[in-house]
Amino acid sequence: MKARLLSRGDVLKVVDLLRRRGYEVIAPFRGRGRDTFFDPVTDQNRDRIQIHLPNPYYPPKRFVFPPIERLLKVERSNGDLRIQSTYEERKRAIFGIRSCDVAGIYHLDRFYLGRDFPDIYYQNHRKNLFLVNVACTDPELDIGEECFCMCTDTGPAARDHFDLQLFDLHGMGAQSVKDGDDFLAVAGTPLGETLFADPIFRKGSPEHVAQRSAILDGVRKSFRPGTTSWFSAAIQAVSRGEIPEETWDEVGNRCLECGGCTYVCPACTCFTVTDRLAEGNAVERLRIWDSCALSGFTRMAGGFNPRRAVHDRRNRRFFRKLAHYFIERELSMACVGCGRCAAVCHGDIGMPSVVEMIRRHVTARSNEA
Amino acid sequence: MNPSSIEHVAMPGIAPKIVENVYLPKVAVLDRVVDEIDEVKTFYWHFEDNEAQSAFKRFRPGQFAQVSLFGVGEFPTSLPPSPTEENTFFTVRQVGSCTQALHKLKPGDKFAVRGPYGNGFPMEDYRGKNLVFIAGGIGLIPLRSAIVYALANREHYERIQIFHGAKTPKELMYVSKLLNWERTPGVDCHITVDRAAEGWTGDVGVVGSLFKKPGVKVAVENAVAFVCGPPVMFRFVIQDLLAMGFKERNIVSTLERYMKCGVGKCGHCCIGVAYVCVDGPVFTYEQIKQLGEDI
Repeated sequence: MKARLLSRGDVLKVVDLLRRRGYEVIAPFRGRGRDTFFDPVTDQNRDRIQIHLPNPYYPPKRFVFPPIERLLKVERSNGDLRIQSTYEERKRAIFGIRSCDVAGIYHLDRFYLGRDFPDIYYQNHRKNLFLVNVACTDPELDIGEECFCMCTDTGPAARDHFDLQLFDLHGMGAQSVKDGDDFLAVAGTPLGETLFADPIFRKGSPEHVAQRSAILDGVRKSFRPGTTSWFSAAIQAVSRGEIPEETWDEVGNRCLECGGCTYVCPACTCFTVTDRLAEGNAVERLRIWDSCALSGFTRMAGGFNPRRAVHDRRNRRFFRKLAHYFIERELSMACVGCGRCAAVCHGDIGMPSVVEMIRRHVTARSNEA
Repeated sequence: MNPSSIEHVAMPGIAPKIVENVYLPKVAVLDRVVDEIDEVKTFYWHFEDNEAQSAFKRFRPGQFAQVSLFGVGEFPTSLPPSPTEENTFFTVRQVGSCTQALHKLKPGDKFAVRGPYGNGFPMEDYRGKNLVFIAGGIGLIPLRSAIVYALANREHYERIQIFHGAKTPKELMYVSKLLNWERTPGVDCHITVDRAAEGWTGDVGVVGSLFKKPGVKVAVENAVAFVCGPPVMFRFVIQDLLAMGFKERNIVSTLERYMKCGVGKCGHCCIGVAYVCVDGPVFTYEQIKQLGEDI
């Protein structure tokens, strides 16, 4: 991997570079209060792009897997059917994507493209997507209360799966402020490396790389020391089926069945398919995000529902995300440590809390034994 | 259910291979409709496109297809024909909005089909074995394919036994086929109904009662039992089979689940460690127990 230096004042020129190359650039912005969001960059909002900010509530997943997407258009006339695939292809870049969300997109890659029956709709969104990762180096702004990427090994600085990574050398633990007004840019792909032809990128030195490591060491220590450090043990317990039933009962009792956790998750993949009548007796087939939290998720025609109880459904979600079988199946984990489920959940059964409940119940049980 | 080989590796910035659209169904034409039992009909159809028809005909017994009724939706249904047969058809009970829409179609009407999907019964692995088919009610629909296939490849299989039970004589599935099987030499076919009706001279009782009938000897050694039927029937038949000495891995069934894609993406049919659509729908009883959900 090649690395270059970039002055703080030139960071947003990366956005300009990408726009000149024909990318629609999506970047993080700050709304009123603490709200942050991803939005397309225009000439008007370009200067308001945020480098350090709390990770937006809605992950950038929707740019590769839209909440509602048209799959087919079917024209019906005189009893005949004409079925067309409707693809959307766009040359897009996401600037400022956090490391956890880079891992989220990688998980979607593995899930939709890595096995039999690759998904062409996903591929069309993905194939021209350029990812500019900004490493989380500001403990105040970048790292939230709920972040646990340390446990999922997805952050605070992604190791791969980005095209370009920008690392603020003015982060905490920086040895001197003298060199502190630079960013270290790392290319993750040959395409990312082509940006280095632009004169805004300067040669760096081994000291800059050493500084990066020093900053990362400091950032790692600034995460809230939480029970999520039990994450890998929870994976083991879930995979071996060692979770006591009462854990899922408790999780089920606290679930309000709103589906929020799945809608903010950068690694959730489920969808439903529905037909909609369009103009001129045509039909559009759509896919829409679906959620395993909702009771109708497994209900079959005729009403039989093999997964009736709430705790069955909650068990399902955490099993799907944590069981070693699925991690091996996709070669990536369906939880990337972003903490959004914890932030959105009214019943406090986001991933970190559930890991804590697993810890409590499993250790209580082993103490009894 | 092993993690299958990773064929398509996506890397950022590198376009993956161009692939076909797995969600795109092909237009099918309804040829004729045959009444089976109350609310159950068989729909004979063919693809408009000849190539699609011959590609589809390579399906295996136990696989399924996704049927599109545009404007209503898409539903999964098992494939009752054997690939050794000429015709392609579905046998479908009217139970939800999509199946109702299918039931309203007339010969000549068009709909769409994609598939075949799923693993199917490993009929090659069963060569040289005794085959025991046990079907309750419309559970005979998915088993029909394997039965016809086994009979068409008779020399590869040892004894073939068929046990079919229905609530009443009027609810026996594929009656003409059943009567044929009863008369076919080398096939041990037994039929029973829960409640007899006037004119019924056959057996009365649940399907499991046939196993204890005088003169019936269920093959247990070197045998595979195919079991399909309603949940209650399934539970009792499994008990009977295990008591007779069947190993859990030698009992197979096909599961049905709510499905939207059929290709392992939408997530609805995922139970335990399996996506029913790609890892199933055929599972051994040993696997079904591990999946840990109601049948």
